[in-house]
Amino acid sequence: MPEAASPAQSVLEALGFVLFAREESGALRLLGETPAWLGVLWPALAENDGVLPIADASPFFENFLIDAEECWNAGGSGQAKSGPWVEDGSGSEAQLEATALTANGQPLLLLQRLGEEFEAKKNVLQHARETVIAHQRLNSEIQKKEILLHCVADEMTAALANATTSLRLIEMEDNGPRTQLLLGLANRATQEQQALIQRILGVFEDELRGAYGESGLTKTNAHWDTVLRQALDAATPLFAEKGVSLSAADAATSEIRISLDAMQLERVVGNLLENALERTPAGGTVMVRTANEPETLCLQVEDNGAAIAPQICESLLAKWDPANAAGLRLHFCRIVVENCGGEIGCSPLSGGGNRFWIRLPKSSAAA
Amino acid sequence: MIQKKVCLLGTSGVGKTSLIARYVDGSFSENYLTSVGVAIKKKVVRVDDSDITLIIWDLAGDDKFQPLERAYLRGASGYLMVADGTRGMTLDHVIKMRERYAEQIGSTPCALLLLNKSDLESRWEVDEGRMSGLASDGLTIIKTSAKEGTGVGDAFEQLARRMIQPA
Repeated sequence: MPEAASPAQSVLEALGFVLFAREESGALRLLGETPAWLGVLWPALAENDGVLPIADASPFFENFLIDAEECWNAGGSGQAKSGPWVEDGSGSEAQLEATALTANGQPLLLLQRLGEEFEAKKNVLQHARETVIAHQRLNSEIQKKEILLHCVADEMTAALANATTSLRLIEMEDNGPRTQLLLGLANRATQEQQALIQRILGVFEDELRGAYGESGLTKTNAHWDTVLRQALDAATPLFAEKGVSLSAADAATSEIRISLDAMQLERVVGNLLENALERTPAGGTVMVRTANEPETLCLQVEDNGAAIAPQICESLLAKWDPANAAGLRLHFCRIVVENCGGEIGCSPLSGGGNRFWIRLPKSSAAA
Repeated sequence: MIQKKVCLLGTSGVGKTSLIARYVDGSFSENYLTSVGVAIKKKVVRVDDSDITLIIWDLAGDDKFQPLERAYLRGASGYLMVADGTRGMTLDHVIKMRERYAEQIGSTPCALLLLNKSDLESRWEVDEGRMSGLASDGLTIIKTSAKEGTGVGDAFEQLARRMIQPA
């Protein structure tokens, strides 16, 4: 028969706890009466004279008993906690948490029915996780919108440049007064369109400034060495976590400046590094090389990943399809690099892996 | 009867509980209900004339709020690593988990990568290049949709088949 409950056990029971003593035989014997909820969950407990048939408990509980045994064998004041779990008993379920401990040399197992506490914890976690997921989705949406906006501006600028060129060619011809009037109107319209594009990009830049802080934006003449070092520093923990080496070959680039926003350029380099990291298995190496060419600077990021077929290489850097969210990072690189008159490309390496590269025009302006 | 412990790994909100609900009960809920701790479900699956009882451990999403306890993986015969295709960073997370728990998961062939939410594939942030890279790294990738049931049974059955194959 189960032992009579002491006042302390009665208090524990009122708080949703039950106490088991671990006997020499390894059996777990309930101290005190079997509470109704436990009787429903493990009916065999009452039938078995207060000894818990382990086979009737869930695999989770069985698994926890291994940690509990270690704790009991170690003795001392250490505890082993199971963490919360859902025990699915005979047609009923309960949220439980167990703690193994030793008191006065007696190995004990404290079992708690979590009930309201479990629900409260669940509500907090639900809210926290929903917030994290919403934040991730929002960040992703911002990046997509950013790219879409640049795509639209890119397309509009190209179309406008064609229109402007055509108008100039027509202007060179012998036009009557009516045609000249229409040309004037058309020229004004193209100028207005150009101003509109600049305004749209200006608003976008203002938003960026608001999101990242005034100090994060430098209009032009990004200092290449600073940008590269910051991008490498930011990426280093990610590489360390995955166990991938990140090596950068030194090059004489200390005076080089690029006609680009420093923050955008850092994101381009960061995106290329993250892309390489994703492709490289643990234990591999990503090599970063910078070549100082007469008019341009070339950055090469080489990974150890599976070689990408040339046709896939092309599609990775192709124009972004708004219906397909894949490849945003690389597409962002393409937009930024091409907008400043640069080039981007990728190719498989002969010995395995891939090389992603960008070639950027150096700024002629002084620092 | 053969019993095999299967653990579903992944960060929160990728659909681990939904995949289990779809596989075990044939049900699906649109509402996201977070998991706390561990819940265990069982299902008997017949593979190559053998009945196997899968003891499926639904582990709460591993995140900064509730990191996964290493002890929960003890004795597991197979792993389903789950990522949400519409959130690329969930794939990064589960790949990092695979490395963090390499001692448990090791290079076992009994670990499949499930890219869930294939019903929203047009909004995926995981491209074919990334998938082919992971595949060449030795991972078997299965696209699943807990909502529509696509690939779910196939994933569990493929894992069950691998678990009973001699090493």
